[in-house]
Amino acid sequence: MSTVIRVNNAGKKFSKSLRQMMLYGARDIVAGSLGLGDAPERLRPGEFWAVDNVSFELRRGEALGIIGPNGSGKTTLLRMLNGIFMPDRGSIEITGKVGGLIHVGAGFHPMLTGRENIYVNGAILGMKKTEIDRRFQAIVDFADIGDFLDAPVRHYSSGMYVRLGFAVAVHSAPDILLVDEVLAVGDRDFSIKCYQKMKEIRTQGATVVLVSHNEYVIRERTERCLYLRNGRPQAFGPSEEMISRYIQDGLKDKAARRPASAGQLSAANGAAGASSGRRMEILDLGLCAADGRRVDGLDSGAGFLAELRFRVLERVESPFFSINFYNDAGLVYAANSAYEGVHFPALLPGEGTVRLRLPRLDLPTDTYYVSVIIGEGEACYPLDVRHFAWTFLVGRAPNARGLLKLPAEWQLEVSP
Amino acid sequence: MRPETPAADKSGACLSAAEPANSKCVSLSSVRYEPNRIARLGLGAWPLMCRELWGARELAARLFLRNLKARYKQALLGFFWALLVPLLAVGTFVLLNRAGVLVIGPTDVPYPLFALAGLTVFQLFSTGLVSSCSALVEAGDMIARVNFPREVLVLAAIGQAVFELLVKTALIAAACVYYGFLPPAGALLVPFTLVPLILLTLGLGLFLSLANAVFRDTAQAVGVLLTFLMFLTPVLYPADGAREWLFRLNPLTALVEASRDLFIYGALRHPLDFGLASAGSLLVFLCAWRIFHLVSTKVPERI
Repeated sequence: MSTVIRVNNAGKKFSKSLRQMMLYGARDIVAGSLGLGDAPERLRPGEFWAVDNVSFELRRGEALGIIGPNGSGKTTLLRMLNGIFMPDRGSIEITGKVGGLIHVGAGFHPMLTGRENIYVNGAILGMKKTEIDRRFQAIVDFADIGDFLDAPVRHYSSGMYVRLGFAVAVHSAPDILLVDEVLAVGDRDFSIKCYQKMKEIRTQGATVVLVSHNEYVIRERTERCLYLRNGRPQAFGPSEEMISRYIQDGLKDKAARRPASAGQLSAANGAAGASSGRRMEILDLGLCAADGRRVDGLDSGAGFLAELRFRVLERVESPFFSINFYNDAGLVYAANSAYEGVHFPALLPGEGTVRLRLPRLDLPTDTYYVSVIIGEGEACYPLDVRHFAWTFLVGRAPNARGLLKLPAEWQLEVSP
Repeated sequence: MRPETPAADKSGACLSAAEPANSKCVSLSSVRYEPNRIARLGLGAWPLMCRELWGARELAARLFLRNLKARYKQALLGFFWALLVPLLAVGTFVLLNRAGVLVIGPTDVPYPLFALAGLTVFQLFSTGLVSSCSALVEAGDMIARVNFPREVLVLAAIGQAVFELLVKTALIAAACVYYGFLPPAGALLVPFTLVPLILLTLGLGLFLSLANAVFRDTAQAVGVLLTFLMFLTPVLYPADGAREWLFRLNPLTALVEASRDLFIYGALRHPLDFGLASAGSLLVFLCAWRIFHLVSTKVPERI
């Protein structure tokens, strides 16, 4: 298979202030028109490398994911691959026709109908009129926007806009498809359709580069990933590994930021507890492996122990404890002693520790935010709450996909 | 940070047996992006420029049509707008002339016809310049996100001006009928004398659109300057008279007069001036195109 994208030490610089941008812009344009290529490798005051030192190669039919926090240069890199931004150092070699989904519906004019805009957008994506004529029906079928085809685009919902734009783009027969997080706008059916279409063009030999914040999409649709941070590549390799590295880095960042805020929080809580006559308060939560060692993450299916330290200021009649795991989608798992029918004796003033032991932490791979609630009574009246105060990573190894991780038994029978 | 890819085949993309059957088997074009790519090409950039422009002809036409449709779709008066400005301008001058406020020398055809012809030609230049000036900025979103030859935006803008010229031609034809003036056969050559003016407009338009991408003041400045320029060019009055040498210094004089002379007399009255102005226009166009092509890669990040 042949290499279709070869990025060699590519870098792109930007300037932060508008004024400087204008000045440099004018200077670049004058220098450029006189044929004096200034030294693009040098950073002028106020400039920074938005993307730097990126190298990778992609062959036909491969799919690459680009991940990283906001502002890490993902979209800039995508635009460089599309030839919109020229690298200021290094080089990028592209073989074949590039279809950019960096912006769907490029050139759509709000006053024109969908039908007219298909031709405009197609022409911008490099299709000839005859090509568009030939694929027109396929585009319309794919977009599936019904009567709106003959309505001005400005009456479209954002989802319909994306549908039409994406439909044109995937039918422009790209050899390389660059996708930037756009599918998030379409509805469920449409985004499934889009990913299927992407798969289809891949099997026809097209190469896909995908920027997304959605771990699941990256995991399912790409084999390899480039992990960017502050414009610098952190790692390049199998998507699964890159994602867990990305998540772990995110946790580390949070941990690095936490001490100050967590300290303030507990001090505030403590003060509030004393003054507002709070009867019970959370001191600390330790998330541990089965052996009691504190960890910031575990493999899915490993033994888990949570140690919750608390202080009782006033007698609490029938205490309950709740530890909840959230991911980006919402509450995933809630352990609640009251709901689980556990009755604890009344607590007298002092400090204590309650332990929650899970023989198997069968949560799918993800980052979890942990909340703790402690309180009193059958009705679970809360006395102290800490929302999302801890983060916990499950699945350093790629062993649990999907929404659920259930204990499974496999049996194989083979008849000769 | 180089990935562990096995030694890859050279480009060309069409491989024989190893390829899956359903894969497209075409030879693909390769492009290499690197700093100062175009500048390094030197004179070799010209074939590339021509190829790119030729490849983008459909896009230019499509964008032109898009702008045209969108422009007249929600306008009550539609194409009539293109006629309104010359009608008002010429009407004003006719009034001023009759009232004796402004004394315009005798013209060889009825004055309104003379003024309409001049104004129509000049407005090819002025509307072309105004619309191409903002062409890049207006398409900023598209430029920042899609890769296509940026020249087409300016081309489409000039196309708009040429289209308006055609609409105004209908007005001139109506005026000819009204005044009973039959243009000489030489008038059929007017499209050729318009070419240098279009080239000049394109050249300046390419240049100004770049300037406007960096300094948004450009568009305003151009609007103001064009108003003055119209009065410094014999558009609404003949160039003959004591100050003729002053008009002759203005290359637009030769370009505007050439088409009007053909229309009125069927021949050029100042062929040398026209030749010089045409050569100059060609030069402006070529320089501007080259500069535009060289610099337009820097536009997306500045827009």
